[in-house]
Amino acid sequence: MIKTLQLLIVDDEPLARALTREYLAKHKDINIIGEATNGLEAVDAINRLAPDLVLLDIFMPKLNGLEVLELTGRTSGVIFTTAYDQYALKAFDLHAVDYLLKPFSQARFDEAIVRARKLLDATPANISELIADAKLERIVVRDRGQVHIIPLAEVEYIEAQDDYISIYWNGKSIMKTQSLSALEAQLDSQEFVRIHRSVIAKLSAVKSLERISKDAQVAVLHSGVKLPVSRAGYERLKVFVSQP
Amino acid sequence: MHPILSQPRRLLWYVLAWIVPGILLAWTLVAENSVAWSSALFFALPAVHFYGFILTSSYFVCRSLPIRQRTALRVVSVFGCASLLSSLLWILLCVFWSKIIGDATGYPDGVLIDRQLTSLLFVAALLLYLVSLLAHDVFIAFENIRSAERQQIASQLLARDAELQMLRSQINPHFLFNSLNSISALTSINAAAARDMAIELGTFYRKTLAISARQQINLGEEVELCKHFLKIEKIRFGQKLQVSWEIDPAALTAQVPAMFLQPLLENAIKHGICNLSDGGVVQIKSVIENSWLHIAISNPVDPESPSVIGTATGLKNFKARIHSLYQEKSRISWYKAHNNFYLDMIIPFEPVMAGSRND
Repeated sequence: MIKTLQLLIVDDEPLARALTREYLAKHKDINIIGEATNGLEAVDAINRLAPDLVLLDIFMPKLNGLEVLELTGRTSGVIFTTAYDQYALKAFDLHAVDYLLKPFSQARFDEAIVRARKLLDATPANISELIADAKLERIVVRDRGQVHIIPLAEVEYIEAQDDYISIYWNGKSIMKTQSLSALEAQLDSQEFVRIHRSVIAKLSAVKSLERISKDAQVAVLHSGVKLPVSRAGYERLKVFVSQP
Repeated sequence: MHPILSQPRRLLWYVLAWIVPGILLAWTLVAENSVAWSSALFFALPAVHFYGFILTSSYFVCRSLPIRQRTALRVVSVFGCASLLSSLLWILLCVFWSKIIGDATGYPDGVLIDRQLTSLLFVAALLLYLVSLLAHDVFIAFENIRSAERQQIASQLLARDAELQMLRSQINPHFLFNSLNSISALTSINAAAARDMAIELGTFYRKTLAISARQQINLGEEVELCKHFLKIEKIRFGQKLQVSWEIDPAALTAQVPAMFLQPLLENAIKHGICNLSDGGVVQIKSVIENSWLHIAISNPVDPESPSVIGTATGLKNFKARIHSLYQEKSRISWYKAHNNFYLDMIIPFEPVMAGSRND
């Protein structure tokens, strides 16, 4: 007896969702439990409905497909659908994540479903690697059911605290469960510098470097905040910051 | 840098090659002045090598007198002076060197090289310098031709790159594949609508191709192209996408570059309307004021979506394109306010002459 799969459709175009429903009509062992039309709805639906399988569009309003996965912590049971995105496709191939290129045929769709069903029991970590490799344009944080989108342009610095990080932007701060190193890997190293074991600062936010004792430095931000700078961090910083 | 001195490999061959005339000179000394082989070689080898290095200076003499600035008088005086000076310098050094070698090996003055040989060497040195000038001139001419060819190839590549970029943005794969997907969906839901959309898509691409073959079109044609584009987008996004046109009829005759509005509308949909659950209205206004064509485009944006201004590479490319066409006679600016995105553009108003259209 084949298990009935609970499936969620995520796509912002009504016709694209209609097509997926049509293709699914002949799959009696799949139950459509919901549809989401943007990234935020998708996050909500995935958390609420816990579907076995998600058909996930990548380029969507509010949050993109990868951000949805990051926020929900989902690492398997996903088939991406996309019209054209050469960077994403390269990443998918690299991590052996299945995807459907629009327009796709019923045959190709069925094949993806069969493959996904096979992979449901085995839990490949491919998707988490995929997310870890993606370069960020903004940081997404889920805090008490609310999703915050923080543009990197507004981020001042990020501080590690125990097993979470605090992100400071526009005079506000928010906590996120992630390691500082994992975030560092996703940031542009020409823009964000690890100035201390527990601090990443944005270069353009740094006003000057101040020596407070013989071998201790602090970075002074334009906002007035002072951040500790380690010896290694100083080596990394001094390439960019001119000294007074 | 000098073509021989700057490359160790060539320099080695050059030094080895000068051994031959060195031996010849030594042989002359042995045969004519009955000098011992050892003294002759001691004198001749360093002497000819030294001249070898003096000769390389002719490269810089040639470079100092580019072909375009040459007159007969200048060439004769510069080349003549350089040759005379170099050979004179060398002869003086030869006389001095022969004295040192002569003293060391026991030949009195004038035995190692006599007066006759000195004048012979001088004439030879003079001629060699002139030949070297000629050889360097030929080399430089070849270099110039080669670098001109390289530059031409580089600029061709650059032009082709720009053209590809333009074509790619016109064909916009994201738009094309999503539209095809919509058609695929419509075939079973509403066959007539699927056919309509296929026809709209075909018309849009046909018009795009026809228009992009021309440098300038009028605003009316561009507006028509945009309307086909918007019809397709409306099928994809449904009620989310509303459009309002307010174009001064006089503005429709304005000459504009091909693909002038369409990329801006695409931008408004992709970064504005698309991100809003309830969609919104894209407004396009155009008026003519004192021989300037004004275009204003606005659309609502999601206040939470940050990428509108920060990473506006598409807009920046567009601005660069318009600027390269009109230079300081164009203005493009954009800003975000009250959850709306505004773009303003001004270019010179030049009406298309009646009858100048040939389509």
